[in-house]
Amino acid sequence: MPVGEHVGEVVPWEGPESGAPIGVPLVDLLDRVLATGVVVSGDLVLAIAEVPLVRLSLNALLSSVNERVAAPWGDGGPL
Amino acid sequence: MTQTVDEPGPHQRRGQGGAAATATYVFAVCRDGDPAAVAGLPGQAPGAPVRLLRFGSLEAVVQDVPAAEFGQEALRERLTDRTELERCARAHHAVIAAVAAGAPTVPLPLATLYLGDERVRAALREDERRFHAVLERIAGRVEWGVKVYARRETTGGPGRSATVAPARTPAGAPEGPSAAGAAHAATPGAARSVGRSGRAYLERVRGARQERERRQQAGLDAAEAVDRALRGVAVASRRLRTHDTALTGERGTQLLNAAYLVAEGREREVAEAVEEVRSAPACQGVEVEVTGPWVPYSFVDGGGLDARG
Repeated sequence: MPVGEHVGEVVPWEGPESGAPIGVPLVDLLDRVLATGVVVSGDLVLAIAEVPLVRLSLNALLSSVNERVAAPWGDGGPL
Repeated sequence: MTQTVDEPGPHQRRGQGGAAATATYVFAVCRDGDPAAVAGLPGQAPGAPVRLLRFGSLEAVVQDVPAAEFGQEALRERLTDRTELERCARAHHAVIAAVAAGAPTVPLPLATLYLGDERVRAALREDERRFHAVLERIAGRVEWGVKVYARRETTGGPGRSATVAPARTPAGAPEGPSAAGAAHAATPGAARSVGRSGRAYLERVRGARQERERRQQAGLDAAEAVDRALRGVAVASRRLRTHDTALTGERGTQLLNAAYLVAEGREREVAEAVEEVRSAPACQGVEVEVTGPWVPYSFVDGGGLDARG
Protein backbone atom coordinates (compact mmCIF):
# COMPACT_ATOMS: atom_id res chain seq x y z
CA MET A 1 0.00 0.00 0.00
CA PRO A 2 1.51 3.33 -0.97
CA VAL A 3 2.61 5.44 1.93
CA GLY A 4 0.41 8.44 2.42
CA GLU A 5 -2.65 6.81 0.95
CA HIS A 6 -3.86 5.77 4.34
CA VAL A 7 -7.47 5.89 3.46
CA GLY A 8 -8.20 2.46 4.76
CA GLU A 9 -6.18 2.15 7.90
CA VAL A 10 -3.66 3.78 10.11
CA VAL A 11 -0.19 2.56 9.27
CA PRO A 12 2.72 4.42 10.74
CA TRP A 13 5.39 5.25 8.23
CA GLU A 14 8.03 2.67 8.63
CA GLY A 15 11.28 1.33 7.38
CA PRO A 16 14.74 2.79 7.26
CA GLU A 17 13.36 6.04 5.92
CA SER A 18 11.05 6.58 8.78
CA GLY A 19 9.62 9.99 8.26
CA ALA A 20 9.70 8.81 4.69
CA PRO A 21 10.39 11.90 2.63
CA ILE A 22 9.47 10.15 -0.57
CA GLY A 23 6.11 8.86 0.41
CA VAL A 24 4.81 11.82 2.34
CA PRO A 25 2.02 13.52 0.41
CA LEU A 26 3.30 16.83 -0.86
CA VAL A 27 0.32 18.87 0.18
CA ASP A 28 0.51 17.60 3.73
CA LEU A 29 4.20 18.26 3.76
CA LEU A 30 3.71 21.82 2.55
CA ASP A 31 1.07 22.33 5.20
CA ARG A 32 3.81 21.68 7.66
CA VAL A 33 7.02 23.07 6.25
CA LEU A 34 5.44 26.28 5.05
CA ALA A 35 2.54 27.21 7.21
CA THR A 36 4.00 26.34 10.55
CA GLY A 37 7.26 26.53 12.33
CA VAL A 38 8.87 28.75 14.82
CA VAL A 39 8.82 32.36 13.90
CA VAL A 40 12.36 33.33 14.57
CA SER A 41 12.92 36.86 15.78
CA GLY A 42 9.50 38.28 15.26
CA ASP A 43 8.36 38.17 11.70
CA LEU A 44 11.46 36.64 10.25
CA VAL A 45 10.12 33.38 9.00
CA LEU A 46 11.66 33.17 5.62
CA ALA A 47 14.65 35.39 5.71
CA ILE A 48 17.40 36.01 3.27
CA ALA A 49 20.10 38.22 4.67
CA GLU A 50 17.67 39.42 7.30
CA VAL A 51 15.14 40.43 4.69
CA PRO A 52 11.80 38.91 5.62
CA LEU A 53 10.15 37.22 2.69
CA VAL A 54 7.37 35.43 4.25
CA ARG A 55 4.04 36.79 3.01
CA LEU A 56 5.32 37.47 -0.40
CA SER A 57 6.86 34.11 -0.89
CA LEU A 58 4.19 32.08 0.78
CA ASN A 59 1.53 33.30 -1.57
CA ALA A 60 3.66 32.37 -4.50
CA LEU A 61 4.48 29.01 -3.03
CA LEU A 62 0.96 28.12 -2.20
CA SER A 63 -0.34 29.05 -5.59
CA SER A 64 2.31 26.92 -7.25
CA VAL A 65 1.00 23.84 -5.55
CA ASN A 66 -1.72 23.83 -8.07
CA GLU A 67 -1.82 26.16 -11.01
CA ARG A 68 -5.56 26.08 -11.28
CA VAL A 69 -6.18 28.01 -8.12
CA ALA A 70 -4.73 31.26 -6.95
CA ALA A 71 -4.84 30.39 -3.27
CA PRO A 72 -5.45 26.72 -2.67
CA TRP A 73 -5.92 27.03 1.03
CA GLY A 74 -8.03 30.13 0.94
CA ASP A 75 -8.22 31.78 4.28
CA GLY A 76 -9.66 30.97 7.62
CA GLY A 77 -6.70 29.04 8.91
CA PRO A 78 -4.06 29.97 11.40
CA LEU A 79 -1.06 31.48 9.74
CA MET B 1 28.69 15.18 24.19
CA THR B 2 27.45 16.56 20.99
CA GLN B 3 29.97 17.60 18.50
CA THR B 4 29.34 20.93 16.96
CA VAL B 5 31.02 22.50 14.02
CA ASP B 6 31.98 26.08 14.44
CA GLU B 7 33.79 26.90 11.27
CA PRO B 8 31.97 27.30 7.98
CA GLY B 9 33.66 24.22 6.64
CA PRO B 10 35.99 23.68 3.75
CA HIS B 11 33.42 24.29 1.07
CA GLN B 12 33.79 27.81 -0.07
CA ARG B 13 31.71 27.24 -3.06
CA ARG B 14 31.71 28.12 -6.65
CA GLY B 15 29.87 31.32 -5.87
CA GLN B 16 30.67 34.08 -8.29
CA GLY B 17 29.96 36.81 -5.81
CA GLY B 18 33.26 36.59 -3.96
CA ALA B 19 33.03 37.30 -0.26
CA ALA B 20 29.55 36.09 0.70
CA ALA B 21 29.57 32.99 -1.45
CA THR B 22 27.68 30.90 1.05
CA ALA B 23 24.72 31.39 3.29
CA THR B 24 23.72 29.23 6.24
CA TYR B 25 20.51 27.31 5.81
CA VAL B 26 18.85 26.30 9.08
CA PHE B 27 16.65 23.21 9.09
CA ALA B 28 15.85 22.82 12.74
CA VAL B 29 16.85 23.32 16.33
CA CYS B 30 17.50 20.33 18.51
CA ARG B 31 18.83 19.27 21.86
CA ASP B 32 21.74 16.82 21.95
CA GLY B 33 21.37 15.89 18.32
CA ASP B 34 23.50 13.24 16.70
CA PRO B 35 25.79 14.71 14.04
CA ALA B 36 26.08 11.31 12.39
CA ALA B 37 22.32 11.22 11.81
CA VAL B 38 22.51 14.03 9.30
CA ALA B 39 26.07 13.98 8.04
CA GLY B 40 25.33 11.88 4.99
CA LEU B 41 22.20 13.65 3.85
CA PRO B 42 22.20 15.80 0.73
CA GLY B 43 20.17 18.56 2.35
CA GLN B 44 19.56 21.58 0.18
CA ALA B 45 22.97 21.74 -1.44
CA PRO B 46 24.65 18.44 -2.16
CA GLY B 47 28.34 18.76 -1.52
CA ALA B 48 28.32 20.59 1.77
CA PRO B 49 27.58 18.46 4.81
CA VAL B 50 24.54 18.97 6.98
CA ARG B 51 25.96 19.72 10.41
CA LEU B 52 25.11 20.79 13.91
CA LEU B 53 25.91 24.30 15.04
CA ARG B 54 25.87 24.88 18.75
CA PHE B 55 24.28 27.99 20.19
CA GLY B 56 23.91 28.25 23.93
CA SER B 57 22.70 24.90 25.19
CA LEU B 58 21.06 23.85 21.93
CA GLU B 59 22.10 23.05 18.38
CA ALA B 60 20.92 24.31 15.05
CA VAL B 61 20.93 21.85 12.18
CA VAL B 62 22.51 23.78 9.36
CA GLN B 63 24.14 23.56 5.97
CA ASP B 64 26.24 25.94 3.89
CA VAL B 65 24.41 26.73 0.70
CA PRO B 66 25.52 28.78 -2.29
CA ALA B 67 24.28 32.29 -1.68
CA ALA B 68 23.68 32.76 -5.37
CA GLU B 69 21.11 29.98 -5.41
CA PHE B 70 19.39 31.14 -2.27
CA GLY B 71 19.13 34.84 -2.82
CA GLN B 72 15.71 36.38 -2.70
CA GLU B 73 15.09 36.33 -6.43
CA ALA B 74 16.68 32.95 -7.04
CA LEU B 75 14.73 31.40 -4.22
CA ARG B 76 11.46 32.87 -5.29
CA GLU B 77 12.01 31.63 -8.78
CA ARG B 78 12.92 28.14 -7.68
CA LEU B 79 10.21 27.77 -5.13
CA THR B 80 7.51 28.88 -7.47
CA ASP B 81 8.49 26.00 -9.70
CA ARG B 82 6.52 23.08 -8.47
CA THR B 83 9.18 20.46 -9.05
CA GLU B 84 11.79 22.53 -7.33
CA LEU B 85 9.44 23.37 -4.48
CA GLU B 86 8.77 19.70 -3.95
CA ARG B 87 12.44 18.84 -4.04
CA CYS B 88 13.26 21.55 -1.49
CA ALA B 89 10.39 20.58 0.79
CA ARG B 90 11.35 16.93 0.75
CA ALA B 91 15.03 17.68 1.31
CA HIS B 92 14.08 19.89 4.23
CA HIS B 93 11.84 17.22 5.64
CA ALA B 94 14.42 14.47 5.20
CA VAL B 95 16.91 16.31 7.38
CA ILE B 96 14.35 17.14 10.02
CA ALA B 97 13.06 13.58 10.14
CA ALA B 98 16.60 12.24 10.47
CA VAL B 99 17.48 14.50 13.39
CA ALA B 100 14.15 14.02 15.07
CA ALA B 101 14.60 10.25 15.04
CA GLY B 102 17.25 10.67 17.71
CA ALA B 103 16.60 13.94 19.51
CA PRO B 104 13.77 16.32 20.32
CA THR B 105 13.66 18.63 17.34
CA VAL B 106 11.97 21.90 16.50
CA PRO B 107 11.57 22.19 12.73
CA LEU B 108 12.10 25.61 11.24
CA PRO B 109 10.17 26.74 8.18
CA LEU B 110 11.42 25.94 4.73
CA ALA B 111 14.13 28.32 3.56
CA THR B 112 15.23 29.85 6.82
CA LEU B 113 18.53 31.40 5.87
CA TYR B 114 21.20 33.56 7.41
CA LEU B 115 24.30 35.21 6.09
CA GLY B 116 26.55 33.01 8.14
CA ASP B 117 26.94 30.92 11.25
CA GLU B 118 27.40 33.93 13.48
CA ARG B 119 24.12 35.38 12.32
CA VAL B 120 22.43 32.09 13.04
CA ARG B 121 23.83 32.00 16.55
CA ALA B 122 22.88 35.57 17.26
CA ALA B 123 19.33 35.15 16.02
CA LEU B 124 18.61 31.79 17.61
CA ARG B 125 20.19 32.63 20.91
CA GLU B 126 17.58 35.32 21.38
CA ASP B 127 14.94 32.63 21.21
CA GLU B 128 16.77 30.01 23.20
CA ARG B 129 14.30 30.05 26.03
CA ARG B 130 11.38 29.68 23.70
CA PHE B 131 13.05 26.78 21.92
CA HIS B 132 13.51 25.07 25.24
CA ALA B 133 9.85 25.49 26.04
CA VAL B 134 8.83 24.05 22.69
CA LEU B 135 11.25 21.15 23.04
CA GLU B 136 9.75 20.38 26.42
CA ARG B 137 6.31 20.27 24.88
CA ILE B 138 7.12 18.06 21.91
CA ALA B 139 9.72 15.72 23.39
CA GLY B 140 8.46 12.14 23.28
CA ARG B 141 5.49 13.13 21.17
CA VAL B 142 4.59 12.86 17.53
CA GLU B 143 2.05 14.46 15.28
CA TRP B 144 -0.74 12.70 13.44
CA GLY B 145 -2.54 14.35 10.59
CA VAL B 146 -6.22 13.64 10.07
CA LYS B 147 -8.31 14.85 7.19
CA VAL B 148 -11.99 14.36 6.64
CA TYR B 149 -13.63 14.50 3.22
CA ALA B 150 -17.28 14.54 2.28
CA ARG B 151 -17.94 11.53 0.13
CA ARG B 152 -18.62 12.55 -3.41
CA GLU B 153 -22.26 12.51 -4.46
CA THR B 154 -23.08 10.18 -7.26
CA THR B 155 -26.55 11.40 -8.16
CA GLY B 156 -27.17 13.81 -10.98
CA GLY B 157 -27.93 17.43 -10.27
CA PRO B 158 -31.51 18.70 -9.99
CA GLY B 159 -31.33 20.52 -13.31
CA ARG B 160 -30.76 17.30 -15.11
CA SER B 161 -33.34 15.05 -13.54
CA ALA B 162 -36.00 17.76 -13.49
CA THR B 163 -35.84 18.61 -17.15
CA VAL B 164 -39.14 18.15 -18.85
CA ALA B 165 -38.76 15.69 -21.65
CA PRO B 166 -38.54 17.91 -24.70
CA ALA B 167 -41.00 17.53 -27.50
CA ARG B 168 -39.18 16.27 -30.50
CA THR B 169 -39.85 19.21 -32.72
CA PRO B 170 -38.34 19.31 -36.14
CA ALA B 171 -36.78 22.64 -35.23
CA GLY B 172 -34.97 20.85 -32.46
CA ALA B 173 -35.82 23.52 -29.92
CA PRO B 174 -33.57 23.26 -26.87
CA GLU B 175 -34.96 22.29 -23.51
CA GLY B 176 -35.57 24.49 -20.55
CA PRO B 177 -37.05 27.95 -21.05
CA SER B 178 -38.22 27.11 -24.54
CA ALA B 179 -40.44 24.40 -23.11
CA ALA B 180 -42.66 27.24 -21.91
CA GLY B 181 -42.49 28.76 -25.37
CA ALA B 182 -43.67 25.54 -26.88
CA ALA B 183 -46.65 25.63 -24.53
CA HIS B 184 -47.96 28.79 -26.25
CA ALA B 185 -49.24 26.88 -29.13
CA ALA B 186 -50.45 23.98 -27.07
CA THR B 187 -53.81 23.34 -25.44
CA PRO B 188 -54.69 24.81 -22.01
CA GLY B 189 -54.37 21.34 -20.62
CA ALA B 190 -50.84 21.08 -21.87
CA ALA B 191 -50.08 24.50 -20.41
CA ARG B 192 -51.37 23.36 -17.06
CA SER B 193 -49.25 20.31 -17.25
CA VAL B 194 -46.23 22.44 -17.99
CA GLY B 195 -47.15 24.61 -15.03
CA ARG B 196 -47.37 21.54 -12.89
CA SER B 197 -44.00 20.30 -14.00
CA GLY B 198 -42.67 23.82 -13.38
CA ARG B 199 -43.83 23.58 -9.81
CA ALA B 200 -42.49 20.08 -9.58
CA TYR B 201 -39.20 21.34 -10.91
CA LEU B 202 -39.02 24.02 -8.24
CA GLU B 203 -39.88 21.50 -5.60
CA ARG B 204 -37.20 19.21 -6.80
CA VAL B 205 -34.70 22.06 -6.79
CA ARG B 206 -35.75 22.97 -3.28
CA GLY B 207 -35.54 19.35 -2.23
CA ALA B 208 -32.11 18.99 -3.71
CA ARG B 209 -30.97 22.10 -1.92
CA GLN B 210 -32.30 20.87 1.38
CA GLU B 211 -30.64 17.56 0.79
CA ARG B 212 -27.38 19.30 0.05
CA GLU B 213 -27.64 21.39 3.20
CA ARG B 214 -28.50 18.34 5.22
CA ARG B 215 -25.50 16.54 3.82
CA GLN B 216 -23.26 19.51 4.50
CA GLN B 217 -24.40 19.67 8.09
CA ALA B 218 -23.99 15.93 8.48
CA GLY B 219 -20.49 16.25 7.07
CA LEU B 220 -19.56 18.97 9.49
CA ASP B 221 -21.03 17.00 12.36
CA ALA B 222 -19.02 13.98 11.28
CA ALA B 223 -15.87 16.09 11.12
CA GLU B 224 -16.54 17.30 14.64
CA ALA B 225 -17.01 13.72 15.79
CA VAL B 226 -13.70 12.71 14.24
CA ASP B 227 -11.99 15.68 15.87
CA ARG B 228 -13.47 14.85 19.26
CA ALA B 229 -12.36 11.25 19.00
CA LEU B 230 -8.80 12.17 18.11
CA ARG B 231 -8.61 14.85 20.76
CA GLY B 232 -9.36 12.14 23.25
CA VAL B 233 -6.03 10.53 22.41
CA ALA B 234 -4.04 13.73 21.92
CA VAL B 235 -2.37 16.13 24.31
CA ALA B 236 -2.95 19.01 21.91
CA SER B 237 -4.68 19.58 18.62
CA ARG B 238 -4.64 22.13 15.92
CA ARG B 239 -6.79 22.89 12.90
CA LEU B 240 -4.88 23.46 9.70
CA ARG B 241 -6.36 25.24 6.74
CA THR B 242 -8.56 22.97 4.74
CA HIS B 243 -7.46 22.32 1.20
CA ASP B 244 -9.30 23.76 -1.73
CA THR B 245 -11.39 21.38 -3.79
CA ALA B 246 -9.02 21.94 -6.67
CA LEU B 247 -6.35 20.24 -4.60
CA THR B 248 -8.42 17.47 -3.12
CA GLY B 249 -9.70 16.48 -6.54
CA GLU B 250 -11.59 13.22 -6.61
CA ARG B 251 -11.74 13.00 -2.86
CA GLY B 252 -14.40 15.64 -2.56
CA THR B 253 -14.76 18.57 -0.21
CA GLN B 254 -12.38 18.63 2.68
CA LEU B 255 -14.21 19.17 5.93
CA LEU B 256 -11.38 18.86 8.39
CA ASN B 257 -7.62 19.15 8.22
CA ALA B 258 -6.23 18.77 11.68
CA ALA B 259 -3.08 17.79 13.51
CA TYR B 260 -2.87 16.01 16.82
CA LEU B 261 0.05 15.88 19.19
CA VAL B 262 0.17 12.38 20.61
CA ALA B 263 2.58 10.59 22.92
CA GLU B 264 4.97 8.32 21.08
CA GLY B 265 3.93 4.71 21.10
CA ARG B 266 0.20 5.38 21.04
CA GLU B 267 -0.29 4.47 17.39
CA ARG B 268 -2.72 1.81 18.43
CA GLU B 269 -4.94 4.28 20.24
CA VAL B 270 -4.88 6.57 17.25
CA ALA B 271 -5.82 3.70 14.99
CA GLU B 272 -8.60 2.61 17.29
CA ALA B 273 -10.03 6.09 17.59
CA VAL B 274 -10.04 6.38 13.81
CA GLU B 275 -11.60 2.97 13.33
CA GLU B 276 -14.28 3.78 15.83
CA VAL B 277 -15.36 7.00 14.19
CA ARG B 278 -15.17 5.44 10.76
CA SER B 279 -17.73 2.90 11.75
CA ALA B 280 -19.94 5.36 13.62
CA PRO B 281 -23.30 5.91 11.92
CA ALA B 282 -22.74 9.67 12.00
CA CYS B 283 -19.62 9.29 9.87
CA GLN B 284 -20.91 7.18 7.02
CA GLY B 285 -20.93 10.11 4.63
CA VAL B 286 -17.28 10.97 5.07
CA GLU B 287 -13.82 9.61 4.38
CA VAL B 288 -11.22 9.83 7.11
CA GLU B 289 -7.59 9.94 6.04
CA VAL B 290 -4.69 9.65 8.43
CA THR B 291 -1.02 10.48 7.94
CA GLY B 292 1.79 10.09 10.39
CA PRO B 293 3.62 9.93 12.59
CA TRP B 294 5.09 13.32 11.74
CA VAL B 295 7.73 15.30 13.53
CA PRO B 296 5.48 17.70 15.46
CA TYR B 297 5.64 20.44 12.87
CA SER B 298 2.29 21.85 13.78
CA PHE B 299 3.04 22.26 17.44
CA VAL B 300 6.12 24.40 17.53
CA ASP B 301 4.39 27.70 16.97
CA GLY B 302 4.14 28.95 20.49
CA GLY B 303 1.53 28.42 23.11
CA GLY B 304 -1.53 30.02 21.63
CA LEU B 305 -2.14 28.16 18.46
CA ASP B 306 -2.46 24.59 19.53
CA ALA B 307 -5.34 25.49 21.77
CA ARG B 308 -7.39 26.06 18.66
CA GLY B 309 -10.05 23.69 17.63
